[in-house]
Amino acid sequence: MDKQVYQKFNQSIYREKLANGLKVQLLPMEGYHKTYAIMTADFGSIDNHFIPYQQKDAITVPDGVAHFLEHKMFEKEDHDAFDLFGKLGADSNAFTSFTQTSYLFSTTSNLRENLDVLLDFVQDPYFTAKTVKKEQGIIGQEIQMYEDDPSWRLYLGILGNLYPKDPMRIDIAGTVESISHITPEILMDTYKTFYQPANMNLFLVGRLDPDETMMWIKQNQQQKVFAPAEKPQRLFKLNDPTAHDVIPFRSLTMDIVRPKVMVGLRGTKQFSDGKERLHYKLAVDLLLDVLFDDTSDNYLRLYNNETLDDTFSYNFEMQRGFHFAYFSSDTNQMERFADEVIEILESADQQIEAARTRFEGIKNAELGRLIGLLDSPESIANRYAGDLFAGANLMDEIQMLETVTIEDLYQVAQEFITPQGISVYQVVPQHQ
Amino acid sequence: MDFNLARGVDLHMIPTKQFKMNHVLIDFATPQTPTNATARNLLANLLETSTHRYPTQTALARQLASLYGAYVNLYVNRLGKMHTVRLRASFVNNRFVSEDLFKKISELINEILFHPLIDDGEFDGPTFRIQSNNLKSAIKSLYDDKQFLANQRLMSLYYRDDSVMQVPSFGQINDLDSLTAKSLVSTYQSMISQDKVDIFVLGDIDLQLVQDVFAQLPFKDRLVNSDSPLYHQLAYDQVQRKTEYQQVSQAKLNLAYSLPIYYHDQDYYAALVFNGLFGGTPYSKLFTNVREKASLAYYAASRMLPFNGVVSVQTGVQASDQEKVQELIQQQLIEIQQGNFSTETLKEVQDSLINQYRAGHDLASNVLEQQLVAKLVNESNNDFIAEIRKVTSADVSRVAKLMKLQAVYLLSGEK
Repeated sequence: MDKQVYQKFNQSIYREKLANGLKVQLLPMEGYHKTYAIMTADFGSIDNHFIPYQQKDAITVPDGVAHFLEHKMFEKEDHDAFDLFGKLGADSNAFTSFTQTSYLFSTTSNLRENLDVLLDFVQDPYFTAKTVKKEQGIIGQEIQMYEDDPSWRLYLGILGNLYPKDPMRIDIAGTVESISHITPEILMDTYKTFYQPANMNLFLVGRLDPDETMMWIKQNQQQKVFAPAEKPQRLFKLNDPTAHDVIPFRSLTMDIVRPKVMVGLRGTKQFSDGKERLHYKLAVDLLLDVLFDDTSDNYLRLYNNETLDDTFSYNFEMQRGFHFAYFSSDTNQMERFADEVIEILESADQQIEAARTRFEGIKNAELGRLIGLLDSPESIANRYAGDLFAGANLMDEIQMLETVTIEDLYQVAQEFITPQGISVYQVVPQHQ
Repeated sequence: MDFNLARGVDLHMIPTKQFKMNHVLIDFATPQTPTNATARNLLANLLETSTHRYPTQTALARQLASLYGAYVNLYVNRLGKMHTVRLRASFVNNRFVSEDLFKKISELINEILFHPLIDDGEFDGPTFRIQSNNLKSAIKSLYDDKQFLANQRLMSLYYRDDSVMQVPSFGQINDLDSLTAKSLVSTYQSMISQDKVDIFVLGDIDLQLVQDVFAQLPFKDRLVNSDSPLYHQLAYDQVQRKTEYQQVSQAKLNLAYSLPIYYHDQDYYAALVFNGLFGGTPYSKLFTNVREKASLAYYAASRMLPFNGVVSVQTGVQASDQEKVQELIQQQLIEIQQGNFSTETLKEVQDSLINQYRAGHDLASNVLEQQLVAKLVNESNNDFIAEIRKVTSADVSRVAKLMKLQAVYLLSGEK
């Protein structure tokens, strides 16, 4: 077990790659009552085209399989893992993103027993035609619930513009139609391919003793026999890596009161390693703050002429194989909002130059926000993105942020902001 | 550790080394009236936008950024009949930075609370107009969240027409037109000089320094209203029902029951366990029977409001299933009333509540909220864990029998 001390944060992290390939990280937090554990497969909704474990031919699985699998993992022949956590006094949950599937629990008692439940249910698949059918009803309701959420529609809408022929355009949960094609066989092929220990990591944060906890994990794993590891063969390829397939504009009508608009920006840079990727992400985060945060003159001007309001937000997402930023607000001036945001993006160089005196403040503010996340076991563990950022944790991220300079911002602005990567999506009230 | 700053103004200090951030919470409480909620929400927005020294939100935001991204915001809330304006601030511990952030933050709080952008008896005109417009838009767009909308409509159906609770804590659009840059000054003066004020400081703090700094804030003595915040209303003989139609994919079916058990009543803990068993935890009857077994809903949960005497149920269902779902919900309640649940499930619910309670100590905002509630009702903290464990199956059934269905609201996409 490898130990790394972070003096500045008065914290240490313990790491080990087990014999079966599972990567384990433990981060004890003094004074905390709960332990948060999250087990993540490097597999999400976009991974729908692959060569199944120990097979020869590629398959394309229905949209929504990763999320469906997440739901179905809990149910076993004679019990539900969810209830086992309940009996042990823990809260449990799971979530699926474009590129990851995570299973988690949070507990203030029976850590070892809960850890066994987590490892056991994730490593013991059980799918039948009957349980698959039942889940189609529940997930169908979930999909419909999201269909009524204008913010989600806005987000998915811009993704559809930015990646019109890639799997990101589809809801993570799939569609009512696509999930009707899911079978136990598809789930099992997918499971065997992506839920190998070597394609997963386990992260525990909070109240824990590292030696004891690592021993429990090893004892659990040593009792099991795992099929030989085989690196998952994903066939994911962007339709057009140069982003010339971006749809510049679409809109949707909904039964809502306030118009909502989102500007999307798709990046095309390829990265050679996770460190470079993390540095790029941190620099883009700061770039967006320089251009749009509430200390900027842009923000004050657009706020005061009511182009945007307190609902304004922006974000940058770096995922495996793609990255994009988005800017949104409720506004009565949707065209003006889009024009203004695009103009600011296109004049990034002058904007950075004008922000020289603000840069240290913006960076300190970002540092303060990240330090604040260290008070949350969930934030520390959920933020961990494995190989995507070369295994960097939140503390590594803070230390890397300190090295970002204003010169880096010019560089990333030039790489990230291209005319073909820009798009606009609107959600418009019906009665306007 | 408590310290009286003026009559009706108390400072509570919670020293801990658990967190890397320090937190301040200042609560201004007064009974809600038919007109004060909207005015106070607008006031909170005005106060957090600018001050005399920082006359634009950008100036204020830059000051905060220079304090390592310190965060100060104001918002409104309601506890029973008590309307509250709250200031929340958080900032990193001094050990991560080379300057004394606490002093600077407290100066900023002083600036925000005691030097608002008021000249000649009026708030700054342009700021007032924008904030008033923004609040109007913000209230409008709250209702674009259909689950939120369904819950608001349900509560409006539940509260009697003449109840002060008909006005939501965040206010209503119609009231905004009657507010002016001048009238908001009286709202401000009333809040700053007459509300009950509780100040909480949590973190790695120097008690003497905190006490000295807050003692300098110019709070004056005030007569604190001693009315109970608990809300009571006469039960309806007939269930209030309403259906509305909008273009939604999923119908929202919400129910309200009266449950006349209040915060720290003798049966309070039994009511918490009852709610956990009914729909408040993942081990509940609603979750397991409406969602999991019958596969009728994606969400089906209940929520207890222990200052209002209400338990509400929220579900997202197919419109065509709504009658079936109503029956199923009613059936779950009857099962609990008749004691048809295992001691095993009861224990799961108790363990879940205890786990949440313990884990709550790891979240600073939750610690502050709990302390605040305790101060507002002048209660000492009971031993939560022991009280929850004491609850028996018979207690839960007894409490369940006090539930009385009062209102049913359906937001449907199909006519």
